[in-house]
Formats: sequence, structure tokens, C-alpha cells
Amino acid sequence: MVTVELRNVEKKWEDFRLRINHLEARDGEFLTLLGPSGCGKTTTLRMIAGFDRPEGGEILFDGTRMNEVPPYERGIGIVFQDYALFPHMTVFKNVAFGLEMRRVPRKEIEGRVKRALELVGLRGMENRYPEQLSGGQQQRVALARALVVEPEVLLLDEPLSNLDAKIREKLRGEVRRIQRELGITTIYVTHDQEEAMAISDRIALMNVGTVEQVGTPLELYYHPKTEFVARFLGLSNILELEAENGRACLGGLCFNVGKEGRVRLFFRPESVYVKPGKTGRITDYELLPGRVRLKIDVEGNTILAERFLNELPFSIDEPPEGVDLEVLSFSTI
Amino acid sequence: MGSKPSKIILLMPLVFLLVFFYIPLVSIVKTGLWDGGLTLRYLGAVLSNGYHRHVIIFTVEQAIASTLLTLVLGLPGAYIFAKYDFPGKRTIKAFLTVPFVMPSVMVALGYILLFGKNGFVTELVGRDLGILYSWKAILLAHAFYNFPIVIRMVSSLWQRINPHYEEAAMALGARGWRLFWRITLPMISPAIFASAMLTFVFCFLSFSIPLIIGGYQYATMEVDIFTQVMTLLDFKTGAALALIQITLSAVFMYLYLRSLEAYSKREEQRIFQKPAGFGWRDILSIKGLLMVVYSLIVFLFIVAPLLAVLYDSLRFQGGWSLEWYRRVFSPEYNPMFGASTMVTIRNSLAFGISTVILSTLVALPVAYILHRWNFRGKRLFDVLVMLPLASSPVTLALGYIKVFHSTPLYYTAAIVAIAHTVIAYPFVLRSVSTALRKIRPNLFEAALSLGAREWRAFLKVELPIAMGGVIVGAIFAFAMSIAELGATYMLAKPEYTTMAVAVYRFLGSRQFGSASALSVMLMVLSALSFMVIERMGEEVW
Ligand SMILES: Nc1ncnc2c1ncn2[C@@H]1O[C@H](COP(=O)(O)OP(=O)(O)OP(=O)(O)O)[C@@H](O)[C@H]1O
Ligand SMILES: [Mg+2]
Repeated sequence: MVTVELRNVEKKWEDFRLRINHLEARDGEFLTLLGPSGCGKTTTLRMIAGFDRPEGGEILFDGTRMNEVPPYERGIGIVFQDYALFPHMTVFKNVAFGLEMRRVPRKEIEGRVKRALELVGLRGMENRYPEQLSGGQQQRVALARALVVEPEVLLLDEPLSNLDAKIREKLRGEVRRIQRELGITTIYVTHDQEEAMAISDRIALMNVGTVEQVGTPLELYYHPKTEFVARFLGLSNILELEAENGRACLGGLCFNVGKEGRVRLFFRPESVYVKPGKTGRITDYELLPGRVRLKIDVEGNTILAERFLNELPFSIDEPPEGVDLEVLSFSTI
Repeated sequence: MGSKPSKIILLMPLVFLLVFFYIPLVSIVKTGLWDGGLTLRYLGAVLSNGYHRHVIIFTVEQAIASTLLTLVLGLPGAYIFAKYDFPGKRTIKAFLTVPFVMPSVMVALGYILLFGKNGFVTELVGRDLGILYSWKAILLAHAFYNFPIVIRMVSSLWQRINPHYEEAAMALGARGWRLFWRITLPMISPAIFASAMLTFVFCFLSFSIPLIIGGYQYATMEVDIFTQVMTLLDFKTGAALALIQITLSAVFMYLYLRSLEAYSKREEQRIFQKPAGFGWRDILSIKGLLMVVYSLIVFLFIVAPLLAVLYDSLRFQGGWSLEWYRRVFSPEYNPMFGASTMVTIRNSLAFGISTVILSTLVALPVAYILHRWNFRGKRLFDVLVMLPLASSPVTLALGYIKVFHSTPLYYTAAIVAIAHTVIAYPFVLRSVSTALRKIRPNLFEAALSLGAREWRAFLKVELPIAMGGVIVGAIFAFAMSIAELGATYMLAKPEYTTMAVAVYRFLGSRQFGSASALSVMLMVLSALSFMVIERMGEEVW
């Protein structure tokens, strides 16, 4: 397999500028491009595929410059959000297409198509036309079609977003399983953070036209480098405080920041522990399956805390007047 | 299904079609097959007669050949339009509507002026190329009429093909010719097939072109029927020929409608992919040069006959002059067609406007039924209301003569307007239906949810949105009416002579100057129609 690398890549549309200083999908890695709509995920993926040309910088596969190499010589497999199954061909013909283009002998094609369809859990559908398949099945065919030619890089652009939630979850597990089985370098585009967290080795979180941070899901979640990253993934608490003698306090809630002056603190709701006390006041709460999300007012700031119901030191039906807070892990951003 | 009175309104056009299309049709069938009892004598006589057999075969052959030539000429244009953006694209696209609305008598005249004994091309080359009065001129003229259809239909589908198909194929290793052959061609083939079928039907039914520039040897069935009825007064043979013609064209028509279905099914939403830009610098590549050459050929092809007519109308006794126009506008009685040329202009306008009104009145309710109702046999209904497209004007006129000759309707202006309506209305219907289909159904549903009855929802919400289609269809009907020759010639008495008939008469007596000047007047009317159609920006096909 190969390592895909982007260096100082630039692309301009009318009112949109993309610039990626450095991005790398390592050999056999599952890298996800995550970001809000219109941030340039598709554009990035299409440049890697060779459908769009970057205006500056380099796209490298294993260190070889690919900018001028046409898509059909890059050894990629691509799956689109709308699948793009050829409507005038059966499932078999669709999957066989890439092999035929490579002039693979007929006998071999049959076996390989069969295996590819088995891999994605579709047997006995060879003679159907795309319009006779459900969305989930079409997606599997699209995956089989991309994989059967044994590409070195697999590119997927929101492949699951046209499916309903249940199937989406099931299929994403399968995509991950197949990717691991084949050990293929994969770049996956989504704007669904849960999906990204669930299947990626690493996530590149994009903001309009740039990559904000690249890291494992845990790194991004617990150690965001920017406020944008912190806010994009999950819920977050962000406080701006003055530190003195290495400590920053909001009323009775103190943090050992080891710095002086203005600091911005970031911590997740599940890092906040609560017990009856006087630091803050519960203003509202929300029940989730097995858990509770508390809104706590501390000196006019709202702090979110999330706890399992069975570890709360009080009953949520009779919340105490005031609570003390303890934040076990935080970072400065 | 709406309240009672509205149903009656809806059924009126069907009665109209029954009386003015189906009954004449049946009467032709009867004339051709009935002689005190069922007989195949006349059919047999036609089929065993060497000349008629030759005509039938030639009609099909020239239609096939014309269609092929049309495709050869149109497909490169479809490619260019689908794939590239270049300066003046809109103007050129608009320009392609010109042949649609140009009367064929005028085009025929243009060809005579280009390729005739003293024609421009003949003088330029220094010898007669033998194009005129042969199948070559027919093919050229047919291609002139139809290649814009191919360009429009094919490029519009080509543009709408989801680019992901081609990209997916490219990622799988397809490129160049194989990419085109395996992916692109199958995707655009419904458009190629539908436009080819339509071209074929038009060429199969072609009348004025072969009548004027084909000569006796290169007659189509339509010309043959005309000759049988008008010159030889042999109604039986005419009807038998018409029968064969109707049967064949109904089959072709059916194939066209089926291919049209496949075509509209394939229309997809476009995804972010604009045609590539094509600037001045790109012209220097081989591809660019080919495109320029192609554009020049197309341009000459379209304007040459028009310019020839315009030039000729301004030449009088070896100098520049407006003499021909003075004669056209003089109220002087012309014994050749029994009216003054001024009157023919008035007649053409009157018939044109009547046709617009009548064909819209007929087409709208039918479009509503097709759009809104669901019933068993709807497909058959669709074919039946579109069938007038497959009937030829000459055959229709023959049916009218048979059915109405002893009624007060015969020889009136009304019957001419009605004939024009039957001929033109399918275009209005298509145009309106296409526009209606493009409207999202939830608009109609929203209107219903707000308390509108179905009929009102249609009138208040859908029809205004589809107005562009109605107008384009109506203008098209106007252009067809003023260009119509065969049926008008057969049905109109002298004082109702139209411009098109007058041009034909002038041609018959080789008065090219008058023919040209009158043709230019026709051209002006057509050009006006063309400008309105282009403004609306709706697709006719
Ligand atoms: N072919 C194009 N021509 C002009 N602008 C384009 C083109 N493709 C994308 N853009 C613009 O570039 C920006 C980024 O688009 P892109 O499709 O890469 O976003 P995305 O992150 O994939 O968004 P989404 O999640 O909505 O798919 C958008 O503002 C879009 O309008
Ligand atoms: Mg996208």
C-alpha cells in the first residue's frame, strides 16, 4: 500500500480558497476528513483522486509526485455519496468494469467479482440492475466495484450519508472491517463526527479552507488545539480566567494551570465531578439513557457536567441546593 | 377528479380531435379499403405498381439517409455544447433555433438559388454539381432542418449526466475512446435515439422539400399522394398510399414516443461540474481548429440559403433594387393564385393567429389530463392524442376533402385554420407537457392543502409556472401555420391563398424575384417567432 501526502496544496474556486500545508495518510491508515459543510473536504478528496488539479503544492503517493498523473493511473478506488453505479449495467457488470478495463481474463473476472461481492456481503444479486437494489445494497456494490481492482488507495466521499441511521452504523462497521482486512490506505470524508470517531485511525478536522488539526480521535477529543476543534467535537466547557501564582479560579472552582495572566481553559463535561456543596447551583438538567447532563451556574458562567446516574452522590429527583465541582482533566487552548 | 363542468371542458378537445382528425382518418381508411365491401384491390394496385413501390422505398431510404447525415452533422455540435463554454455560446445556441422556424418553401428556394443552373455555388465552382433535383439536395435540406434537434436533445442530456459516472469509470481505469464507448455513449444513447427517431419521422413525412427540389423521380409518399389527388384526381390510389403512409408513420411515431420516455427518465440533476472554459488560446490546438471548422460549416449551412434568398430579393435586372418588394406590397390582383400578394400576407397572419388560439385551446386541457389524471389505458391515450404528429398535412387534407366536401365547412377559411391546428397542436402539447413535468409535485400539493380545488390549483399555480412552455408551443404553432404548404394548397380557395402557397406558385412559374421577396417577408415573421421562443428559453422537444 502507499502513503498519501499533500504538501502546500492550494485550490481556488470563485469565492473559496483551500490551503493545506501538510496532510498525510500513512500506509494502511484510515484517515477521515471531517468538517462542516463547504469546508473543502470533497475538493481535497477529488484532488487526491485526480479529478481536480491543485493550483499549487504537491500531491505525493509514496513520495512520487502525482499532480500530473490522470485518475486512471493513480491506482485509486473511489466511492461517491450517490454511488454512481452505472445504471445500464448489472451488478456483475458494474463490479467487473474495472477488471475489464485492465484486460483481466474473463475467467479470472468471474471469480474476483464473486469474491468482491462476498466481501461486501452481497451474493446472488449479480444479475440485478442498480435500480432494483436498496440504498444500502447499492452502497455495497459501489464498495465492491472500487475494491475489486485492488486499489492502493481507497477514497470515500460521504458514502453512508444517503442511508438511514441503522444501516449507516452497520455499514460503517463493515467498511472498517474490510479496510483492516485488506490493509488499504483509506481516506474517508464525512461531516458526521460520531462516524469519524467510530472508524478512524486518525481524523483531519477541517475548517473553511484549512486543516485545523490532525490526530487520533482521542487526541482531538481531549486535546483540541483550537477552540474550533473543541467546539466541533462533542460538548465542551471553555473558560477565560486570570491566573495568579499558577492557579486560576472561578469562585470556588480552581485549576492548577502553572501559568500567569490570562488563560483559556477547556474541559469536557464528563471530566466534571459534582457533589453537594456551595460553589455553584444546578439550573437545569437533561436526562440521557443512563446518564444526566447538568447545567451548573458558577458566578454567572454555565458549566456543563455529564455523569452516569448511578455515580451521582445524590438523587437527581432531589438535587441539592448547591454543588461543589472538581475538574479532573483540562487543557489550555 | 374535479367537478362536472370542468370535465366537459376537458372533453371538448377530444371531440375536436375526433371530428377533425380521427373521422377523416377513418374515411381515408374506408376510401382505400372499401368499395361496396372490403377490398384490397387499391392497396394491391399500389404495391404492385413499380413507380409507387419505388416511391415507398425511396421515402424510407431518404429518411434513413437524412437521419444519418443529420446525426453526423449534429453529434459533434452536441459534444461541443455539452463539454465547453466559449464566448458567444448562448447566441450560437439561439441561432440553432432558426431552421426550426424557417418555412420549407423558403429553404427550397434558397437551395435553388444556391445550386441551380445560375446558382451562387454553381457559379463559384464553375459547374453544376448535380445537387439540385436529386436526392442530395433533399438530404442536405433535411439535415438543415433537423441537426439542431440532435444538438439540442443530445447536448442537454449529455450535460445532465452525473459526472460521477465518468469519474468512477476513470478511477477504474477507463479512458478516452473506451470511456466514451462503455459509459458515455450508453448514457446519452436515449437522446441520440429519440432525436434520430424524431428526425426520421419528419423526413419520412417531408413534403415541400422533395416536391420542389426533388423532382418526379425523387418524390416521397407525401408528394405522391399530393400528385395522385391534385393532379390525377385519383382518390382511391391516393387513399391507399395514405393508408400505407399512416401505418408506417404511426409505427415510427410510437417508437419515437417510447424513446422519448427513456430519454426523459434519464434526465438527471447536474452535480457541480461546469463545462470547461474555452478561450481564444485553446483555438490553436487541433481540437480547437476542428471546432472552429465545424462551427463555420454549421454557420454556412444555416445562413447560406437564407442569404441567397435575401440577395436575390434585392437584385432586379442586374442591379440593386427594392422593385420586388414594391410588387409584393402592391395591392395588384395576381391571377396566378387569385389574390394580391398583400392579401396573402394578411391571410398568413390570420391563419397563424387562429392556429395559435385554437391549438392552445385544444392542447391545454389534453395536457392537464395527461398531467393530472391516472386511468387505465393512459399510455394508449398518450399515443392517440399525439398521433396527429404522425399524420401528414396532405393526408389530412385528403381526409377533409372526403369528409367535409358536402358540408358548409368545406372551402371556408375555418377548415384551413382547423387543419393547421391539427398539424401544429402536438407541438404545443409537447411543449406544455414538458414544462408541466418540470414542476415539483409538492407545489400542487401545497396549493391543495391551502384549499384550492385541483382545477384551480392547476390554473393558479402550475399553469403560470408552465407559461413559458405554453408560449413557446404557441409561437411554434404560429411558425408551422405560416410555413404550411400541402394542406393549405389543397383546402384553401384562391382568396385564402397564403404566403407559402404564393411562393410555391411563383416558383412554379419560375418568378424567383417575387418568390424571394415574399420569402423574405416570411423569413421576417419566422425570425420574430424565433426571437420570442429564444427569449422564453424553453425547450420545445
Ligand atoms: N466545481 C466547483 N466550482 C465552483 N465552486 C466549487 C466547486 N466545487 C466546490 N466549490 C466550492 O468550494 C467550496 C468547498 O466545496 P466542497 O464540495 O469541497 O465542500 P465539502 O466540504 O465537501 O462540503 P459538503 O460537506 O457540503 O459536501 C464550496 O464553497 C463550494 O461552493
Ligand atoms: Mg462534499
